[in-house]
Formats: sequence, C-alpha cells, structure tokens
Amino acid sequence: MNRQVENPIIEIHDLSVAYERKPVLWDVDLSLPEGQLIGIIGPNGAGKSTLLKAIMGLLPLNSGYIQINGKPLEEMRHKISYVPQRESVDWDFPTSVYEVVMMGRYGQLGLFKRPKKADKDIVMDSLRKVGMEEFKDRQISQLSGGQQQRVFLARALAQQADIYFMDEPFAGVDAATEKAIIKLLGEMSAQNKTVIVVHHDLQSVAKYFDWIILLNMRLVASGPINEAFTPELLQETYGGKLTLLTEISDLIQKHRFPNRE
Amino acid sequence: MWENALSFFDFDDANVIYVSLGTIILGAGAAVVGAFTFFRKKALIGDAIAHAILPGVCLAFILSGTKNYFLLITGAFFTGWLSIIAVDYIVKKSKIKEDTAIGLILSVFFGVGIMLLTYIQQSGNAAQTGLDSFLFGKAASMLVQDVIVFSVISIIVMIMIFLFYKELKLITYDKDFAQSVGLPVKWIEFLLSSLTVLAVVTGIQAVGVVLMAALLITPTAAAKYWSGSLSIILILAAAIGGFSGVSGAFISYIAPNMPTGPWVVMVLSAFAIISIMFAPRKGYISRLWQQLKNRRQIQDENILKAFHQIAESENSFDESKSIEKLREKRYYTIRLMKRILVRLKRNGYLKRSKEGYYLSDYGQRKAARLVKLHRLWELYLTEYLRIAPDHVHEDADTIEHLITPELEKKLEEKLGYPEVDPHNSKIPYD
Repeated sequence: MNRQVENPIIEIHDLSVAYERKPVLWDVDLSLPEGQLIGIIGPNGAGKSTLLKAIMGLLPLNSGYIQINGKPLEEMRHKISYVPQRESVDWDFPTSVYEVVMMGRYGQLGLFKRPKKADKDIVMDSLRKVGMEEFKDRQISQLSGGQQQRVFLARALAQQADIYFMDEPFAGVDAATEKAIIKLLGEMSAQNKTVIVVHHDLQSVAKYFDWIILLNMRLVASGPINEAFTPELLQETYGGKLTLLTEISDLIQKHRFPNRE
Repeated sequence: MWENALSFFDFDDANVIYVSLGTIILGAGAAVVGAFTFFRKKALIGDAIAHAILPGVCLAFILSGTKNYFLLITGAFFTGWLSIIAVDYIVKKSKIKEDTAIGLILSVFFGVGIMLLTYIQQSGNAAQTGLDSFLFGKAASMLVQDVIVFSVISIIVMIMIFLFYKELKLITYDKDFAQSVGLPVKWIEFLLSSLTVLAVVTGIQAVGVVLMAALLITPTAAAKYWSGSLSIILILAAAIGGFSGVSGAFISYIAPNMPTGPWVVMVLSAFAIISIMFAPRKGYISRLWQQLKNRRQIQDENILKAFHQIAESENSFDESKSIEKLREKRYYTIRLMKRILVRLKRNGYLKRSKEGYYLSDYGQRKAARLVKLHRLWELYLTEYLRIAPDHVHEDADTIEHLITPELEKKLEEKLGYPEVDPHNSKIPYD
C-alpha cells in the first residue's frame, strides 16, 4: 500500500541509493503529509537511515529526486533539522553542551558571523525544553547516553525548522529521556511541524506515530498508521529479506556494474 | 657555546630576532592546523604530506635551477596536495584502508624525493647547498628573507583558521550535520587540506620532513590534557608549538652542528610527557591519587562495617573492639589496620579507649548505613536480577562504597524498606 497525499511536505520520486555501488534502496516512491509524526520502520539493514540521509542530500543518489514543499532541497535547507544517530560522533571531542547546541544556529549564521544575543537566547530556550539547562557548561564527554541524545535534540530545536529528521532517537536512552522526547514530539506536532523518525521498536510504533513508512530495501508501505500498520504488511517487511534482491545487489557490487545504464 | 647562548638572548643580532620570531610563528601555525587533523583522526595524513613535499621541492629546484623560495613552495604545495588526492583515491577506489594507503603514498613520494635529492647533490650545482636542510630542518641558518616568507604564510594559515573556526569545528565534530545545515563541507575540507599542506611546507623549515608529523600532532596531544574546550586547546597547542620551535632554533644557534628538528621534537615530547603525567584530573599522577583515595575509602568503610557487624553479633554496640577482634572480621595486616584506625579516629568516626576503639555517634550512623547499603544491594540483586543469594555478597562488597544518597533512596523505595536481606540479616535503618 502506498498512500499519496495532496500538497505533500516531502515527495520522493523513484529514489535509488547505493553504498560503494551496492544498492541499498530500490526505486522508492512516496509522498508525506505535513504536520504529522512519521515513523520509518524496518529490520536492520533495510535502508532506514539511508532513506533519511538521502532525503537530506547527505548521500549521492543513483536515481530519482526529492522535493520538499514542492521545491528542491537546496532552497529548503533552512527549513529542515537533523538529529543524527548518537554514535555517529565522537563524544570525547573537546566541547561543551552549550557549544554543541549552538551548532544548530550555524546554518542560519552563515560564514564569518559570530552568534548574536538572539542566537544565545534560542540555544538556552532549546536546552530548557529538553531539561538540560543546568548542564550547559558540562563537557560532552561527561554526559550519559540519554543526556547526549537530549543535547542532539536541543541542537535540532535550535535550528527552528519545520521538518525534523531523527535517526533512532530512542535507541539506548533512559526512561526520563524517552519521556522528554515524546513530549517534544507532541509539542512539535501541535505546532504543525513534520517529524520523521527512524524507529526500531515495534511495540511503541502505534503509540508514537500518525503515519508510517515500512521499508526493507524497497518501500513496502507508506500510509496512515491504522492502514499501514497491519500484520500482513509487517510480515512482508520483516519476513526475511528478498533473497533475490540481495543477491543481485551483491552481484552489482562484485562486477562493478553501473546501477543505471 | 655559552657566549653563543648569551648573544642569542642579547638579540642584538637582527637575524636572531627574526629567526626566533619566525620559529615561534612556524611552530604555532603547524600546531593550530595539526589540532584539526588530530581531532578529525587524520593525524597521519600530515606525515604523508610532509614526506610528499620533498619531491616537489627537488623538482622545482631541478626545473628552475635556483633556490627561489616561491618556486620551491609552489613545488612543495603541488606534490603535498597530490599525496592527499592519491590517498583519498586509493581509499575510495580500492579495498585498502587509510593507514595502509598513507604508508604507501608516504614511502613512494619520499623515495622519489630522496632519489631526486641525491641526483641534485651529485650534479654539482653550486646553489644546491642547503636543500638537504629540508630533511631535518635548520631553523638557525634561515636567512631573514626566508623567515619573512615562511612567517607570512604561517600567519595567513592562522588567520584562515581563526576566520573559519566555527565551520572547521562543526565539520570536525559532526560532518553529516554540517552538510545537513548547508555548510559547503567539500569546500571547507579542501580549505583545511590546503592549510595543512601550507603549514607543513612552513613547519618543515623548523623540524624537517621526517619529524614534521610531531610538530602537527604533539602540541594538541599535550594540550588536550589541560582543557576540554577546543578554543583553549588551540591556544595552548599554539603556545607549545611556538615555544618548541624557538627552543630548537636556540639549540641549533648555540651548537651549530646540532640539527634543529630532533631538538624541537625533544622539547615537544617533554611537554607531552609532563602533560600525561601531571595534568589535573586526566594526568597519570592525578589518576593514581584518585585510586589511592578510593582504596583508602574502601579500607576505612570496610573497618567501620566490621565494627557494626561485630557489635551486631555480640550485641555490644557501645563497647570497644580490639584490633585482634577486628582482624577476625577483616584480615588486614596489623600495620595497615593501625593506620586505618588512626585515620578513622582523626576523621571523627572512632574514639579510643584502653581496650581498643569504639564508634562515635557519627561513626555508628555511617557504619549502619554501609551495612544497610550492602544488604539492600544484595536484596536488589536477588529480587530484580534473580541472582542466587550465595553469589551476591562479593558484588555488594564493591557497590556499597559507590551508592550515592539519591540511589540509596531509590533503592529503599523500590524494595519497599525491607526488614531483612537475602541471608536473613536485619537491615539497619536510622
């Protein structure tokens, strides 16, 4: 099932992505509605993070295009905000919580400019929203996993965007952080922000999201939770990889074949 | 030699002033750029660049036939960059990992460089003398004009780092995020690589090709022991790099036969070793001290607990306990036991009587709390982790020293203020 929407906030057309020639996403077509909490669900290696990164232009595409609010990504960069996987950075990097959150302002600041009072206020406000205000001068190397995740969330909030991309924000966090994230998601949704979350835990899918994308190297389903979150579709998503697809991917990599003629 | 040393500090020789200032600037510039390669975990790429510069310098000399610095630097810049591109290309297009690719490129370029250098030296060109100073550096013999050229380049490098500090910091910490906010990541990486090549080209004047990596990496490796803020680390690294640079120049001034580079590296290493040993919190001594404090805390608390346990079994809470009795409970040597008892008395936990020691009110409360924590943790392990009661004692013996009052409260609430532990010993509450 693949429900198309009118005036989509994000439209993906025939998207294919490969890592070192090995295809990991095949011909994904989908459109997403504005102001919803959207979950990307699928097994390990299904291409969930790849889809997220491809939408944000962090990976070269083999084919297809992406439009955000009907415009190309480059025009909409200031409207999007990104929460990478926690493990993707070195938490021993010498910097403080405050400085990491300030990085959320860099996109708007532009080259050579130093943060202004308004930026500092936004940073403090973002820290307050995730309950990390009192940790603002803390070295990031001294944070717990949940605190690290909240710092990343605060940095995304400081971007003051309309569309949020979050890569596994619930992975390995404590109960307090999980609650803080859910509360934030609720607030964002109330302000008509669109939030797209890569998610692992099937138990909580129905509770958190309005809309889900089921993914396993190709799109299995995209639609409102009550239509797409069905046992049949989950079976299709998780019922093992399509062996043929995997074998072809391996072949393409091995023979250094072009993905497109 | 000492006359040389004194005349160095007189600074009446204009050349000495220039060389001193110059080596400070070169050292600082290399250290600042090196900090970013360090934190990007690409420290070795500086080594590849340094070695790859040699063939560039030699080629420029062969083609022009003169020691024109502008041409030599251009040649150096060219092959330096070529080595970066070559390493990137190998990593991208083959299954060879980055460290191997760096090793390959470094030795190939350096081999070609040495070959060209030998050719030049045998060609008998009168202008070639001094080219081999690229190998080990010879700061003291730099001419005023050279110093000015290299210092200006180095200053430009530092200004660029200052201007792009924000962007460099972001791509170093989180490249994907930098790209997602629309920073020109490729362009900034290109800039940083170019700055690294330039810093290496200039730094080589102070330490030479072979030891250049040390000038890039060591200042930051030392500085990061003293601060957790990137900007302060950069300033410290610049200071360490500058000071080491000028020390090398000083040494080769007072002893003209000494090569500069190795001495610069000696000074740098001294900074690194001092930092590793003596830095507060992160330094070795500081950690050793922390361990010693932990050990003492554990010993003290074990003995306090022993007081409580003995009193509990004999119902003799207000009576003194002898050292022998305590040693039955916790077998420490007599000397150690005496030291612990004296320490506990000094801190007000114990009082002394003719028969031995007894707990003060304060000590009694502390001892009871430790016993309580031990037994609560045993109970927690058996009830929540389903560990057999005969396995939990050792764990609890460690954990009891760590539990904070907040955790203590949580533990009590979670377990519902239990009366006894898994071995049916009574849990003491205040």
